[in-house]
Amino acid sequence: MGSAEQISQLTIDGLMVGALYAVIALGYTLVYGVLQLINFAHSEVFMLGAFGGLFASRALVPDGGATPSGLASAGLVLFGLGVGALAGATAAYALERCAYRPLRRRGAPRLAYLISAIGASLFAFNLAGKEFGRQSVPVPELFTNGTVVTVFGAEISTQSLVIAASALMMLLAVDHLVAGTRLGQSIRAVAQDAECAGLMGVDVQKIIVATFVLGGLLAGAGGFLYAMTFNASYTMGFVPGIKAFTAAVLGGIGNVRGAVIGGLLLGLVESFGGYLFDASYKNVIAFAVLVAVLLVRPSGLLGTRLGRPA
Amino acid sequence: MTATPRTLRPRSTRTSARRPVAAMVAGLAMVGGLLAACGGDSSDGGKKEYLIGFQGPLSGESQQLGINAYNGVLTAVELANQDSSLPFTLRIVASDDQGQPEQGPTAAQKLIDNSDLMAVVGPVFSGATKASEPLYSQAGLLSVSPSATNPTLTDLNFTSFYRVIAPDTVQGAGAAEYLAKAVRAKRVYSLDDRSEYGTGLSGAIERGLERARVPFAHDGINPTKDYTSQATKIMADGADAVYYSGYYPEFALLTKALRGKGYDGVILSGDGSNDDQFIRQAGAANAEGTLITCPCSDANSDPAAAGFVADYKKVNSGLKPGTYSGEAYDATNAIISVLREQGTEASRESVLSAFGKVDLPGVTKRIRFQRNGDVEGSTVYVYQVKDGQRTVLGPVSTLVKP
Repeated sequence: MGSAEQISQLTIDGLMVGALYAVIALGYTLVYGVLQLINFAHSEVFMLGAFGGLFASRALVPDGGATPSGLASAGLVLFGLGVGALAGATAAYALERCAYRPLRRRGAPRLAYLISAIGASLFAFNLAGKEFGRQSVPVPELFTNGTVVTVFGAEISTQSLVIAASALMMLLAVDHLVAGTRLGQSIRAVAQDAECAGLMGVDVQKIIVATFVLGGLLAGAGGFLYAMTFNASYTMGFVPGIKAFTAAVLGGIGNVRGAVIGGLLLGLVESFGGYLFDASYKNVIAFAVLVAVLLVRPSGLLGTRLGRPA
Repeated sequence: MTATPRTLRPRSTRTSARRPVAAMVAGLAMVGGLLAACGGDSSDGGKKEYLIGFQGPLSGESQQLGINAYNGVLTAVELANQDSSLPFTLRIVASDDQGQPEQGPTAAQKLIDNSDLMAVVGPVFSGATKASEPLYSQAGLLSVSPSATNPTLTDLNFTSFYRVIAPDTVQGAGAAEYLAKAVRAKRVYSLDDRSEYGTGLSGAIERGLERARVPFAHDGINPTKDYTSQATKIMADGADAVYYSGYYPEFALLTKALRGKGYDGVILSGDGSNDDQFIRQAGAANAEGTLITCPCSDANSDPAAAGFVADYKKVNSGLKPGTYSGEAYDATNAIISVLREQGTEASRESVLSAFGKVDLPGVTKRIRFQRNGDVEGSTVYVYQVKDGQRTVLGPVSTLVKP
């Protein structure tokens, strides 16, 4: 292992990627909480959100134009995040409406949902490949990227700071929403016992839609943040989607804070694993950790219930 | 649960992305078969029609390099079809391999099964070439790659393989010389993408660096999106130059990660990254100053190739030739020159046996082959990104100060 500088650098990189995993993982966990369903098309919600934010910022910042600065940059990042989140929410809503609701109405078996999710996912990313092209597309430079601060010798760039700050805000907002608002209370009630919640006057259908939309908002904004660093492409959803799902399981599927802890942990493991061993072993190490954790704690680090008070 | 989508999805991506092309190729093959059944005459003034195959990535992440080459083939074929002295017309049958070794054999087999097809331009990528050539050799179908540069390809006893680009041993030696004598690197970080192409190139560079007594570190990383920990590793190594042997989508992300961390050394790559998509995907600010070596000259700035550039733009609705466009054009013209000699009597066997004797002034170089199928002699050029544009600095030999 290298010096304190490297340790610090790897920790920061790991937390940055981990925060993105956490943002996506929340979508998996929330939907699992209320429906006991793994929404495998969530990775495509993430991808569509990334493209939404990307096209919006492309429209405002043309190729080869000057890099915006100051307030304009902040405004553009927020705008990109907003449009990304909206695109993600729209995609998630459409997904619930077309791929899940009809099945739920007919009381379809669990397996049907899984197939429906995979089908929706294939449909969405092949359509995106057809419409948006097969090349990777970068988000235009919305701010001048440079080193802002140095922590124990590790340089933190503007970009990492923007990503970390946005992700943190979203995570706090969701935690507050689920733990401390009426909507959150309803979501938890449905997660605990949907039938009973319905009898108590909770509109279960509405809460399910709200949960999907909430997950979509997060994944869309997360997609935009991801595309800032790693560019957007029609296949971009798959790997982060699987990683975020892993993070959700690692922390305890259905558990909001568990997803956050799982995401950050996975990011750190990958960052250090990629450095200490071969970078190509990154995924091997990440999934080895998942298996190891599940062997010891089969329900994840924090347990699996969304229903209990967070 | 994770196992289900992991195996299902990538496979489905490929098949669904390939299907339209597969259908197109199958359709073309059927049309070709019908034409052959009708006596081999096409509608064009009763001239005989020959088919020329093309194999390369026409979809997928690295499609730009395949499209560049395809457009070069198209230019040569269009010009030949306008030439009334030719006793035949030509048509292209394209087969998409997405640049993937595992899709190479299927793409090759589609072309082989088409009996009117006289020769193939391609495959474009080295890995796909290695996987496809056994089939071409077995079928006795000539394949001329515009761009597969892995050195070992011509040592594998393929009997129908030629290439119009110098192998990476030439590029690697040139790049190493440039690193040692022009960049004057104190330590080089040689990173490859573990592909057939990447390992061949990095190996050649490292042999050159050894000869020049420049210390280096070797590392490999499979194509990925997240190069942040790799960038940390490179910076911890202290190398003042990084050479990435791989293709532009990954090189763009690596450059982005390195510059994002404030790496101030020299960043280089090879012909697989020699495309404007690199600048676009890395961002102009990050790409600025990056160096790219290529055993290919830039047709756009070579006065001798002005005629080719004009023809290319005319055929391809104003597009400029890209990396491998000139090579693909030369490869196609070499095939056409053999067909021209043989008139309407050409067969796969006769084209293959006559091809080794081709001697043709091409736009990229003189097209003349060694016995193993390698093109004779070649110059390595250095490109640099300046003000967001790829510009040619010149051949390594003139850039190296004695």
